Amino acid sequence: MNFDLSDEQNVVKDLAQQIFEGHAPVERVKDIERNHGGFDEALWRELAKANLLGLCLPEALGGSGYGLVELCLLLEQQGRRVAPVPLWATVVLGALPIAEFGTDEQRALLEGVISGDVRLTAALSETGADEALRPSVVATRTATGWHLHGFKPTVPAAQFAQRVLVPARQEASAGDGPIGIFLVDPTAAGVTVEPVSATSNQPFAHLTLDVDVAAGDRLGGADADGEAQLRWLLERALVGLCALQLGVCTAAIEQTAAYTSTRTQFGKPLSTFQGVAHQAADAFILTEPMRVTMLQAAWRLMHGLSSRQEVLIAKYWASEGGQKVVHLCQHLHGGMGSDIDYPIHRYFLWGVQNETTLGAGSVQLARLGTLIASDAVGAAS
Amino acid sequence: MDIGDSPDEAAFRLEARTWLEQHAKRRDPSARHRPASTDAEQDAHAKACQDWQRVLYAGGWAGLTWPKQFGGRGGKPWQAAIFAEEQSKFDVSTGVFSVAHGMVAPTLMMHGDDRQRGHLDAMLRGDEVWAQLFSEPEAGSDLANLGTRAVLDGDQWVVNGQKVWTSGAQHSQYAILLARTDPDAPKHAGITYFIVDMRSPGIEVRPLRQITGVAHFNEVFLTDVRIPVENVVGEVNAGWKIAHTTLSNERALIGGSGGNAFTVPELIEMARRYHRTDDPVVRQGLAQAHIRAEILKYMGYGVRTSISRGVMPGPGASVMKLFFARHWAAVGSLAVAIEGAAGMLWGDSASDDGLWQQVFCQQYAIRIGGGTDEIQGNVIGERALGLPREPSLDRDLPWRETRGTKA
Repeated sequence: MNFDLSDEQNVVKDLAQQIFEGHAPVERVKDIERNHGGFDEALWRELAKANLLGLCLPEALGGSGYGLVELCLLLEQQGRRVAPVPLWATVVLGALPIAEFGTDEQRALLEGVISGDVRLTAALSETGADEALRPSVVATRTATGWHLHGFKPTVPAAQFAQRVLVPARQEASAGDGPIGIFLVDPTAAGVTVEPVSATSNQPFAHLTLDVDVAAGDRLGGADADGEAQLRWLLERALVGLCALQLGVCTAAIEQTAAYTSTRTQFGKPLSTFQGVAHQAADAFILTEPMRVTMLQAAWRLMHGLSSRQEVLIAKYWASEGGQKVVHLCQHLHGGMGSDIDYPIHRYFLWGVQNETTLGAGSVQLARLGTLIASDAVGAAS
Repeated sequence: MDIGDSPDEAAFRLEARTWLEQHAKRRDPSARHRPASTDAEQDAHAKACQDWQRVLYAGGWAGLTWPKQFGGRGGKPWQAAIFAEEQSKFDVSTGVFSVAHGMVAPTLMMHGDDRQRGHLDAMLRGDEVWAQLFSEPEAGSDLANLGTRAVLDGDQWVVNGQKVWTSGAQHSQYAILLARTDPDAPKHAGITYFIVDMRSPGIEVRPLRQITGVAHFNEVFLTDVRIPVENVVGEVNAGWKIAHTTLSNERALIGGSGGNAFTVPELIEMARRYHRTDDPVVRQGLAQAHIRAEILKYMGYGVRTSISRGVMPGPGASVMKLFFARHWAAVGSLAVAIEGAAGMLWGDSASDDGLWQQVFCQQYAIRIGGGTDEIQGNVIGERALGLPREPSLDRDLPWRETRGTKA
């Protein structure tokens, strides 16, 4: 019951902070967004050199063997600089499930992740109602493996990935078959990757699949429980977003405090007006719970404790609190908020991106409400 | 970082729970928990608090994190957190000692002399209930504007003035008191922090009946009350800084008092009785309440850690107090809405003896007392975000002059 970081965790945090602060200055981020499709390859190399891409991957494969809490500290630092690298996609959506469930052959991909040569992602979103646990892609048996058919919208950084984890419904003779997660090469014939623009300027692509995959590309082998894998992956994906959001919000508030304390109107700094100061204080109050709920969820997942409620709580707060924070910070910057040469708008756009990805606050809240108060489920613990 | 129960923590939790099972009755979530309203109920509540405090002391559970030299157990903050969590499941309270244990004790530990610290053991034993004589009719959010005067007469200070919003004054043996000792100094620099015996001649306590029907607060009139010079805490005219310690702890105390009046499982239980848990909007309101209660628990770990290290809880206490006030207000409104038409009933006519109506009406005491929402916002702006202070017109003027212009 102690939210203070250990010495080792502080080392991780400091190293991450140093790299993101050193390599993601505002001008660089702007250039990457405008001219390089939202992926800073040089920064990616720096992260690999510091072995931060392998931070929580197994030591046997060359990683550092840390856990989800340390990974969240890294993502928080990325969020602070809104740094354009597909860290969440590669490590959380791709490398973590492969390390946990992958066959030896699949785990061999992780050496490339650690060295910075391989990028991964997962196609979790569905069109319309965002119910990642009910994948619409269909997998049909073939002589040598599977045929995948379907459409996946807004896959993060798919245009930069060597493999995409695609959850699919395996066709059964009657009714719904089991879920399988398949490792798909996006450059294979039968896969169309269509890069799309996003308000946050982060890279996304729509994926159209009409492709054969080998039997050995099913995550964990033929008999693995794909639905359990998907639940496992989704919980970590949500907590990773919470960590990014925490970084986005803390940095946005610091910049807002600095801006309103130097911008003078009516002969005094804006922040000396209570109407301004109290909005900034509100943003701070919304951000502290983001930190404790994210750490609580990450810590429980890392230790294999039941975490369903804690993950919903963390994502609810990161979404609901997070969007309020970035709106407040945007507003308190006045006209500067809409000037894209000024950095604060990026925090606003990232904050809204994190809010809505894999279900906004209302989605998490509805799930938690059913969990704690529906008559069928019984009272909260 | 460690948030779940480690083996040590699990063992301590079991020890606490076992002892509590032997000495207290479990709280029944479906039972009624309306706070004491009538004078007789309030007296009975104060007596029950005193009795329970004596049982805690005898069992070695009083003052868990207090240093042994002050009669405490010298324990760790996580132990106090676990004990509080377990104790909240039982039908017991130490509420009447809130001011003594939560506000006066940390202040005396930090600023009191040995003789003054002698009160600490009596507080733990359950022998001394304390009140806080800070607020005045003209000194609310602007507490430093207080006008109760203390004038030195030989080896005694003679005090005249009026205090207000004094919790539990009718049950208190002692109080902490802020009074003006130098009216010619700027307002923050002429205040002295005293200990006063509430049984002294010249003290008159008049209860204030509140919107909740309870007379928790009082007005206290002081007429030629004599206080021995050794009851000055710290230096004469240097009481403002000491008051900060008390106020900061008060915020932590209020912010950390979740579960004392109601728990979220009790709210869910009530919603179930009204057959409202199949309404998704109600369920989402309940889920939000649950989320806020969990967040308050996590934030409490951090604040408790600083208090036990003998440092001021800082802006974290303000965050928690403000967060708690909003939680309370939202729960009160949700509860009354869940009850529908029955939500308008009161007291014996209402369900749960009117507990939820009490919670609803009590929200303003929570949002105003211990520093208003707006004062907490100022503290967070200045101390957490480093925003410049709001310019103040009277900060450097002699208090007597600023008072003159207002009169």
